[in-house]
Amino acid sequence: MTEKISFTINGETCSVEIDEEMMVIDVIRDVLDLTGTKRGCDNATCGTCVIVMNGKAVKSCNTPASKMQGANILTIEGMSKGMELHPIQKAIAESGAVQCGFCTPGIVMELHALLESKPDASETELSNALNKHLCRCTGYEPIRDGALIAQQLVRERITANI
Amino acid sequence: MAYKYLGKSYIRPDAINKVTGKAIFLDDIRLPGMLHAAILRPKYAHARILSIDTSEAEKCPGVVKVVTGKGCTYRYGDNIRDQIPMAVEKVRHIGEPVAAVIADTPRHAYAALDKIKVEYDPLPVYTDARQAMSEDAVLIHENLEEYWHLPTLNPKPGTNIANLYHLVKGRGEEGFEEAEVIIEGEFNYPFGSCAALEPHGSIVWFKEDRTIEVWSSSICPFIIRDDIAHSYGVPVSDVRVHIPDIGGCFGYKSDITVEQTIAWIASFVPGRPVKWVATRKEDITSTLLAHGIRTVMKIGAKRDGKLVALKTIVYHSGGAYSDTAVNVTMAATHNSTGPYEFEHCDLTGYTVYTNTPPVGAFRGYGHPEPQFATERMMDLLARKLNMDPFELRAKNYLREGSVNSLGERMWKSNGDMQACADRVQQIVFGKPKEKQEDDQFYYGRGFAALMKSPKGAPFSTKGCYMKMNIDGSVSVNMGGAEVGQGLRTVVRQIAAEALKIPPEKVRCYNEIDTQFSPYEWQTIGSMFTMQGGRAIVRAAEKLIQGLKKTAAQVLRTDEDYLEYDGEYVYLRSDPSVRVPVTQLARGYITDNGITIGDLAQSVADARLPRYSNPNQNGQGNLGVTYTFGAQAAEIRIEKKTGKIYVDHFASVFDVGQVINPLQIRGTVLGGVLMGLGAALYEEVKFDEEGRILNPHYFQYHIPTYKEAPQQTIEFIETPDPIGAFGARGIGEHPVIGVPPAILNAIYDAIGVDFYEIPVTPEKIKQALEARTEKEYA
Repeated sequence: MTEKISFTINGETCSVEIDEEMMVIDVIRDVLDLTGTKRGCDNATCGTCVIVMNGKAVKSCNTPASKMQGANILTIEGMSKGMELHPIQKAIAESGAVQCGFCTPGIVMELHALLESKPDASETELSNALNKHLCRCTGYEPIRDGALIAQQLVRERITANI
Repeated sequence: MAYKYLGKSYIRPDAINKVTGKAIFLDDIRLPGMLHAAILRPKYAHARILSIDTSEAEKCPGVVKVVTGKGCTYRYGDNIRDQIPMAVEKVRHIGEPVAAVIADTPRHAYAALDKIKVEYDPLPVYTDARQAMSEDAVLIHENLEEYWHLPTLNPKPGTNIANLYHLVKGRGEEGFEEAEVIIEGEFNYPFGSCAALEPHGSIVWFKEDRTIEVWSSSICPFIIRDDIAHSYGVPVSDVRVHIPDIGGCFGYKSDITVEQTIAWIASFVPGRPVKWVATRKEDITSTLLAHGIRTVMKIGAKRDGKLVALKTIVYHSGGAYSDTAVNVTMAATHNSTGPYEFEHCDLTGYTVYTNTPPVGAFRGYGHPEPQFATERMMDLLARKLNMDPFELRAKNYLREGSVNSLGERMWKSNGDMQACADRVQQIVFGKPKEKQEDDQFYYGRGFAALMKSPKGAPFSTKGCYMKMNIDGSVSVNMGGAEVGQGLRTVVRQIAAEALKIPPEKVRCYNEIDTQFSPYEWQTIGSMFTMQGGRAIVRAAEKLIQGLKKTAAQVLRTDEDYLEYDGEYVYLRSDPSVRVPVTQLARGYITDNGITIGDLAQSVADARLPRYSNPNQNGQGNLGVTYTFGAQAAEIRIEKKTGKIYVDHFASVFDVGQVINPLQIRGTVLGGVLMGLGAALYEEVKFDEEGRILNPHYFQYHIPTYKEAPQQTIEFIETPDPIGAFGARGIGEHPVIGVPPAILNAIYDAIGVDFYEIPVTPEKIKQALEARTEKEYA
């Protein structure tokens, strides 16, 4: 059974045919060729597949594709504007949080969902969000450092815009 | 020594591609006409295959071909040629490929797998080396005597022993006659998984022009190239291997792993590229596992603490194919001394075939497993001698002039074990422990020292191609794989220092393609900074020499009168007589059109300065330098739950020279957390039938954000004579001392000795209950 769905992804409207077994990650990676979203496990444990859907961080590997209907979706490819990195990307790149980089897109999207809605998120909220992501390289400390720098940059951007 | 570009935290050049999602990993590659494979795994871990019926699967939607191992006549392997790409007559472990479906989409391929019917005749299953070594054990490889193997290996046909390694130093076991105190212990480091976030994957394309093109998530492209060329009877130059970005390795993407299987599958659809990417379950059940090492250790000492004799037996459950395990066993055997000198050693390592997936490299490669035993034994011995454990260790550390188990003399330039230990002792034990327990917790501190030997082979070189561009910038082409370790930054900084130009003017290209990349044996063994770095320094020296040669003609002088400063080649006696490198990079053209000199480009490599195969005593030279370090843990054990919290962890290594402080700290942070995972959580578990019980992240728990301890990390810098600018490796070292440091801390907290890992809350609770019962009894 196929079904046609429409949604907005990275600011562009998009219509695709899906079948009922498809998950969001299948549409993103295999239909739209947005390969920045990663597949690290089979059962929503590792966090590499996290995208932002209607402002919330969502694991795309276990979210049925039908949920994309009418949704506003942001993937890692939609974060930078031309050559200008999003502050979260900049912070994560500079804090040492990137080693192999496979967990990075999911973490950037998790932080985006948290900090764009809650720039004053507490350290506990940050730590709860980051605890959903596995990283085998960094020992997490540089990710925490990057998240804190990101939060500062996001806040500064808000102050600058007032 | 003061360097201009070393010891500074430049940001890694691949960080931007990785935060924008533009870095290309294996699964991100899409090729025209690409097909997808799914692989059938057996129902039994050890069984004869009676029949395979693929007829139903062939009729499924989208299916192009169903492949079995029938007709496969070749074996592969670099140490023991015991591997096959797909099971032929029998299966030997639960992750072995039995058949494969090639289809237009992954989903179609997986859907058809269920339709393949296989009949098996089950055989006895052995998941542990000692079971498989029993006299009446069924043979896992009946034709072991027929397999090609390196002349240095010693397989035992007619048994399940794939290799027996024996080392004798001094009087060997007789040395215990000189001992006044003897202790014995048995320790277990169970199976684990590297569990990198990116699973294994490969694409293989047999082309109509009889070349074979491969993409793989591997750190040994040149071994894949050579092996596949050998298996398919084509010249090595006709196999081309590409390595995209790799989402973590930690060992199990070294050696040839999945590539031969995917090549076998793809060979049935010539003209079409075939892609396969492991599911997480397959990544754990069908690629390389880690460890599986039981160490039986006996130490003899004088009453004053002087170590005299060491006897070690390593029982290594090497898995169903031992090609990738034999060297891990040998490393575990001769490194079981830890960082100590024993005058007499009798060290035995058995690599044993078991019905488990093959064991291969894991960060530390045969060091964490036996040194877990050594470092626990040091604390036990100190207790028996009623001696301070730091004093006991200090009396016996390998230092300048001492001789290790292999018979290699230690030099001052191998680094300062004592300095590392002293610093860690000061950081963690410098003040008295605040408390032993309170209402909720017991508190403990534990220490471990460690030694890391080099890892090489006779031709284990690393190459470098270097070219200076017309603007004076430099492109450096390396064959080393970037798995996250930050190789590109290291290349950039070393090349900048050697060429005296800012790092921003150096770009490292290591998007590996065996057609264009310089040869590199494998990017393993914490050797890239050291060996690759030396290759860069050599290439830079040659490039500078080339510039001087051209400039000598331009300035009509002799080359040895010239100096180079990154921007100009100039006359030493009068720097105003000079020519800019931008006018030399492509050779020089005079005003009247005469051309002089050569392109500014160079080629270099760096082999191990000294390497020898083991002699009749199992001794020899491993090629390059040793590295030392010390680690310590501060832990809390929750009384109610038995849960262990590592609050603080300290590490100090003598790395020779820090290249990039941010990156080296990142390496240690991550390595310590891997060691913490091994100590407290990680074990790939098998049932009696050889099935893996926890092949998912939610079952095989790797440390999470909230479980990461606060870490203190420092470095001692005793320059190395071989590594570039004195630098030694650090990639694997941070894992080694973590489990013994934590287990020594557990004893300090609750007075209970553990001899195997992981130490789970259940084990702690049992131990506490047993302790209470004993107190009441």
